[in-house]
Amino acid sequence: MDLFANLATGFGAAVTPVNLGFCLFGCLIGTLIGVLPGIGPIATIAMLLPVTFGLSPLGALIMLAGIYYGAQYGGSTTAILVNLPGESSSVVTCIDGYQMARRGRAGAALAIAAVGSFFAGCVGTVLIAAFAPVLAAFAVQFRSPEYFALMLFGLIAAVVLAHGSVVKAIGMVILGLMVGLVGTESQSATARFTFGVPELYDGVDFVPLAMGLFGLAEIMSNLDRSDDSRAVSSTVASLWPNREEIRRAVPAVLRGTAIGSLLGILPGGGAVLASFAAYTLEKKVSRFPRSSAKARSKGWRARNRPTTPARRPRSFRCSRSASRPIR
Amino acid sequence: MIRVKNPQDFWAGILFVVFGGAALWIGRVYAFGTLSKMGPGYLPAVLSWALLGIGGVLIARALAMSGPPIERSKLKPQLFILAAIVVFALAIERLGLAPAVVLVAVTAAFASRDLRFVEAIALAVALAALCVVLFVHLLGQPFTVWPF
Repeated sequence: MDLFANLATGFGAAVTPVNLGFCLFGCLIGTLIGVLPGIGPIATIAMLLPVTFGLSPLGALIMLAGIYYGAQYGGSTTAILVNLPGESSSVVTCIDGYQMARRGRAGAALAIAAVGSFFAGCVGTVLIAAFAPVLAAFAVQFRSPEYFALMLFGLIAAVVLAHGSVVKAIGMVILGLMVGLVGTESQSATARFTFGVPELYDGVDFVPLAMGLFGLAEIMSNLDRSDDSRAVSSTVASLWPNREEIRRAVPAVLRGTAIGSLLGILPGGGAVLASFAAYTLEKKVSRFPRSSAKARSKGWRARNRPTTPARRPRSFRCSRSASRPIR
Repeated sequence: MIRVKNPQDFWAGILFVVFGGAALWIGRVYAFGTLSKMGPGYLPAVLSWALLGIGGVLIARALAMSGPPIERSKLKPQLFILAAIVVFALAIERLGLAPAVVLVAVTAAFASRDLRFVEAIALAVALAALCVVLFVHLLGQPFTVWPF
């Protein structure tokens, strides 16, 4: 068995007190930095890269992996507590995670996000280890038509996900596509909708857009309301989800893991699509009325975790180029 | 006299029409190309027309079917929050990180219903110190901290 031999080699190298310490340390500072609103895993890795320069290659890799996981989870913290997605894949976490937080279940939401991420991360890692060659061959066959179909799927999912008017949802999807047009066109290098501002030649980045649409809007509407204004002040009391929440979370986590592992193989947009797809599925499958916050909590964990396993294997290699087409 | 029966949809439609129309107008100079050889103006034009269409549908529906009114919102918080962003954008390069953070915190504090000035200043200074320590000293980001 190649797999076990390779895994044994890997564990032999990684499981030393020093390397585990690096992992813990990386995960810790990754979470701390990732918690800052607007700083997603990729930005965190970029900022913390210099920290690993002094280490051996193995230690550096282990620490970076820790940082990545930590930052990914940190993003869901701001998404749940203040409705600020740190990056695109935690957008879905906002939808219901924040609603749970507003009803005083912030602790449970955070715990479920953490446990769910951990579980799906483990499954994803095992899957990658076991099927990497097969999966890679499969992913390489993905070409433009397949990507187009995936993008279309994602956009339709966005419409399906929306609360309220379908027409408005389609309008916003189109508006979003148009925001994506800002910048230099890839075929002819024509600068579109840049108004002569050099900063816009690169296009509109996701994070400022999300900060404006989700964060600022949330702050403004909070200031507008007089009664239940405060986002979440003191309610992170218990981290333990109650039995009901666990019962609803478990199947959602399992489904989310499955979807995340499947869609996560695809380079580019895998995490975002996986999280949206998982949410769409949960919305359909859920037996509980959507009005109840607990029922909602179910769907959203699903999306949080697929992102983790989905992204990790690719993240260092092609995060930059891969994240482009989705914008 | 046509009556708007669904103000929310009506104004959403107006917004879409404005965005679509503006994009169409700005994008009119980009080469359109043909279906088999799309120019840089192809997708913008198609999307603009789609947006115009959606806006039109929303407006038409708003005139025909009734819906909820638009809630009144206070102007003050919105103005000051937006002003805070503009102030930060202007200050970060000219004045440096520390003054910019102080300015943004103080400006944003004006958006609050009950402004306590001392509290706002204290928060601003603490935030500035935190940002400088975190981003400049710990994370090594290339910010100018002071104007001098």
